[in-house]
Amino acid sequence: MYKIPREEWYDLTRAVNWTPKYVTEEELFPEEMSGARGISMSTWETYDEPYKVTYPEYVSVQREKDSGAYSVKAALERDAYVDRADPGWISTMIAHYGAISVNEYGASTGEARMARFAKAPGNRNMAIFGALDENRHGQIQLYFPHANIKRSRQWDWAHKAMHTNDWAAIAARSFFDDIMFTRDAVAVSIMLTFGFETGFTNMQFLGLAADASNAGDHTFASLISSVQTDEARHAQQGGPSLKILIANGKKDEAQALVDVSIWRAWKLFSVLTGPIMDYYTPLEHRQQSFKEFMVEWIIIQFERQLADLGLDAPWFWEDLTKGLDVTHHGMHLGVYFWRPTVWWNPAAGASPEDREWLEEKYPGWNKTWGKCWDVMTDNLNNGREDLTLPETLPYICNMSQLPIVGTPGDGWDIKDYQLELDGRLYHFASEADRWCFEQDPERYKQHQNLIDRFLSGEIQPADLSGALLYMSLGPEEMGKDAHDYAWAEGFKDKTKVA
Amino acid sequence: MAVLPICANFEGDFVLQLVSVDTDDTMDQVAEKCAHHSVGRRVAPQPQKVMRVRLHGSNENYPRGMKVSDASWRATETVDVTFADQ
Repeated sequence: MYKIPREEWYDLTRAVNWTPKYVTEEELFPEEMSGARGISMSTWETYDEPYKVTYPEYVSVQREKDSGAYSVKAALERDAYVDRADPGWISTMIAHYGAISVNEYGASTGEARMARFAKAPGNRNMAIFGALDENRHGQIQLYFPHANIKRSRQWDWAHKAMHTNDWAAIAARSFFDDIMFTRDAVAVSIMLTFGFETGFTNMQFLGLAADASNAGDHTFASLISSVQTDEARHAQQGGPSLKILIANGKKDEAQALVDVSIWRAWKLFSVLTGPIMDYYTPLEHRQQSFKEFMVEWIIIQFERQLADLGLDAPWFWEDLTKGLDVTHHGMHLGVYFWRPTVWWNPAAGASPEDREWLEEKYPGWNKTWGKCWDVMTDNLNNGREDLTLPETLPYICNMSQLPIVGTPGDGWDIKDYQLELDGRLYHFASEADRWCFEQDPERYKQHQNLIDRFLSGEIQPADLSGALLYMSLGPEEMGKDAHDYAWAEGFKDKTKVA
Repeated sequence: MAVLPICANFEGDFVLQLVSVDTDDTMDQVAEKCAHHSVGRRVAPQPQKVMRVRLHGSNENYPRGMKVSDASWRATETVDVTFADQ
């Protein structure tokens, strides 16, 4: 049978549009859902996605990806890699699955919003593939960890985490609700695919794939590589939306959407990927430091992409760059100290050898972060584990929903950025967090962070045990030191006796 | 006498923390309550020094015997606690 060559029909089918007769254009594409921003349908029809694919091509490629990843898993299952992997690497996987898997399902909803409500037919076409991608990512990242539930209940948090009030789940939900569940189709294309996926899934998926390979975890490496190749395709939906907004006098609005999503994504990755790359991944398997990876894959790439589109670097770019030396060290220390409140076992990554590496990658680490670790190490070596565990809650930022951290020790410089609105005092971890809030206070002001919930009596009993109950963490699920404090042994000769 | 939640920023520490104080507490008592969650946990003790309290970002310490009720703090006010010679 004669088949019409692809090039003769593709442009027609990918840009199919129609003129509604039975409903108005506004009824078909409500502004609240479509977000056309006064730009005409004919202009949205010029949306030109750089990556074009047909459904048969898509299915063929996806089938290959799935069969590759599932085959590797099946082949290596008998090898029982998980039983002999470094506990720090196990924690990496458990943290990753809990933070990511269910949000991948969520992302298919964001893609579906574009598939239905985008006025740009090219965006609708691409978003159908994006929705299928994200559905696959949800399924595969739930299926793989499920095989390990027999090893520890923490693996079950791949599915459970986002359905709880664990602080990390609240932070992730706050971000994803903001960028993909509660925005119009155009904003989703910019905030989810450009702001978040272009930059930051590179971070989580490329960086982690490299570390996984180095650590000998070929199952995880093949899984996340198969996810990353989808992301690289559907992340390209935001660029054409930005071009149309900029060409039609909406540059400021476009820039604000980009800036908010980049900042919020950065904060989330500072707590998820930063500790994994610089502390959990065994020293001998670390490819690059978190900062090195961020500079190469995020900072330089974003600067080039923003310039290509005619956008400016976000106003907070210098703050973000400086934060590469600070924020994730604080997030790691916080997660470690409050380890009973997470569903994975944090690896301290603070042995003498680790600290030497940290000092080399982050000059001054020993005089700042190291000062806090000195006290904790002495406590552990003096049999005072109790002093390395929390008795209160860290103060939480009203934008990122993450602890407000800064440099400790000799460089002590923590700053609380405040805002008083309608009689309520809000606390933010940075000028940029406060700025995000100020872009749309009506959107954010009712949200209750973990501290607000604690103070309002929602968490009972009103102590740490009540907080753990509120977060649905059972004794077998609460985080413990991944290596049972073996890392502190190397300091025993130097320990100050209490 | 009433409980007041504050946000404590202790010198040398890396994180702000929720601390519960009483409106009848003196600033020395506030400092002790904040220190409980930082000193000996992540901040090395400085036994030769005293601890002073100030409004976050201010250069001026509160008098050590001043009561919380006289400081006009809002709920969840942020205070800095620092080591000082006196």
